[in-house]
Amino acid sequence: MSDYIGEVVESGTKGFIARSPRVGEAPPFGSFVRTDAGSPVYGLVYEIITGSREPGRKPDAYDMSMEELRREQPQIFELLKTEFHVLTLGYLEAGKIRFALSPLPPPLHSFVIECTDDEKEALSSEDFFLRAIITSPNVPADDLIISSLLGAQRARKNDKDFMVRMGKSLSRFLKDDYERLASILRRLL
Amino acid sequence: MIRERKDFACELSDRISLAKEELRHRSEDWKELSRKVEESRTSWLVAGISSPLDIVRPLPERPRNYTVLSSDGSQIFPDRHEALPCYLINISSIALTYGDKAGARLGSGPSLFYRDEDRFTTWGGKRIPADGEVISLKRTLMEFERILELVKGNEAEGNTIALSDGTLILWRLEAAPPDFRSGIMGPFLRILEEFRTLRVPVAGYISYPGSTDVINALRVGLCPEKVSFCNQCPYTELPELPCSPIEGLTDRFLFSTVLDTGEASAVFKSSSKILEMYGDHHIYFFYINIGEEIARVEVPKWVAEDGRLLSLVHTLIFDQARKGKGYPVSIAEAHEQAVVKAKDRDFFFSLIKEAMIKSDFAVTVSRKGLSKRIPGV
Repeated sequence: MSDYIGEVVESGTKGFIARSPRVGEAPPFGSFVRTDAGSPVYGLVYEIITGSREPGRKPDAYDMSMEELRREQPQIFELLKTEFHVLTLGYLEAGKIRFALSPLPPPLHSFVIECTDDEKEALSSEDFFLRAIITSPNVPADDLIISSLLGAQRARKNDKDFMVRMGKSLSRFLKDDYERLASILRRLL
Repeated sequence: MIRERKDFACELSDRISLAKEELRHRSEDWKELSRKVEESRTSWLVAGISSPLDIVRPLPERPRNYTVLSSDGSQIFPDRHEALPCYLINISSIALTYGDKAGARLGSGPSLFYRDEDRFTTWGGKRIPADGEVISLKRTLMEFERILELVKGNEAEGNTIALSDGTLILWRLEAAPPDFRSGIMGPFLRILEEFRTLRVPVAGYISYPGSTDVINALRVGLCPEKVSFCNQCPYTELPELPCSPIEGLTDRFLFSTVLDTGEASAVFKSSSKILEMYGDHHIYFFYINIGEEIARVEVPKWVAEDGRLLSLVHTLIFDQARKGKGYPVSIAEAHEQAVVKAKDRDFFFSLIKEAMIKSDFAVTVSRKGLSKRIPGV
């Protein structure tokens, strides 16, 4: 599997963490991704962290450009890791995406790949992903809504009706918090 | 206490000044001192001299592209209170390439020893269980074997050095009986020979060295006798021996006043007794100011006598220490990759017990081992 973008290193029902094969590279924040082993689990990237591979060792400052670092301190790139956290949106069951938590989390060490435009379209065909974001604690919900909506709209070839439909859903979900809704909508323009 | 420390520091400073003055003075007629050192019989290790003692070698230009190969080891010693008598040695492999084709390969590999031929060793004709001393020497040999493998697998062209943590002088073997000594020394010297054939200089790096070889050579110089024989010293009735004023100093103190950052000292010959077995690989050493401290670097004779290889070792060790903020990054990484921590040790023995239980093997640990695991109140 050469085109994978991560490997599941921590797996749970509500989400999973994947290790990127290359330090500093990860699917962008708000990307739609899926696992490829067994019954695929779909989700949204909501956190990307690069840090030390070993808990007792902390990255230090070297006062060098990235190119200089690669030339003169090549070992540090072997000692770092990039991981991304994924919020589970749904899973594939009998060829159909079900917008619910998977009965079992994705197997550890399954590869993670970026969703195709068709998959992104299917995942955003309903507003369930927005509800999943809003009801999840510990995710930067507003920014994740914005990034995922823009990503879905690009996959849908800038479908304006889609944005209007999702805007209406958002106004329903956030009817008690006008300021928050207004902030999201303004940032979507 | 503080006053005493202060007085000591003042006295130390006087002694260092004296040693520095002696270094300069003896350099004028270094051949005479060299002869005297060779003919003298002292109770201490004395540096062999083959050039003026106060030579300062400036930092050579660093090649843009280079590779450094290193290894370190760590072990889990056998514990008779555990379920099985066995031990583990973990050896790291470090290959760091700098410049246009920069890259890093870091790794480690454990070896498990449990067979009788590993658990016992021949020591003076007797068969004895391999103890900490034996396992540590075996580990040292494995580290050099690993570095040699790295050298052979290294595709980088030229400018490659092999760097080891600590001394290249296996002085611990001095006390070992000939059968055990040759079992370690034979393969060790063969490895050094391969390094020589491959033209890859090997160097041992000693941080914060406590050695006094050069100071001792100056003490021989201070001795009024034509040739010094410590066991026939005619000055023992005096309140202070003529060689005493600089006694207690280390070479590190002396060279910290002589060398600026990047500079290296003259190359000296070690007089360790075990080196009589080293032949063409006799160990030489020099001191280098790496900025944060004075370090001792040991190299075999064929490196010490080859200007190009010696310069390469000098500049690359300095660069490695700069990159590692005062300690060679390759050696630091070799340690990090090899180290076996206390919790790894516990995990190792619990894995063994688990495997035994899975195979329906009776697990017996000593009452002491058991008592440590489940302390009662």
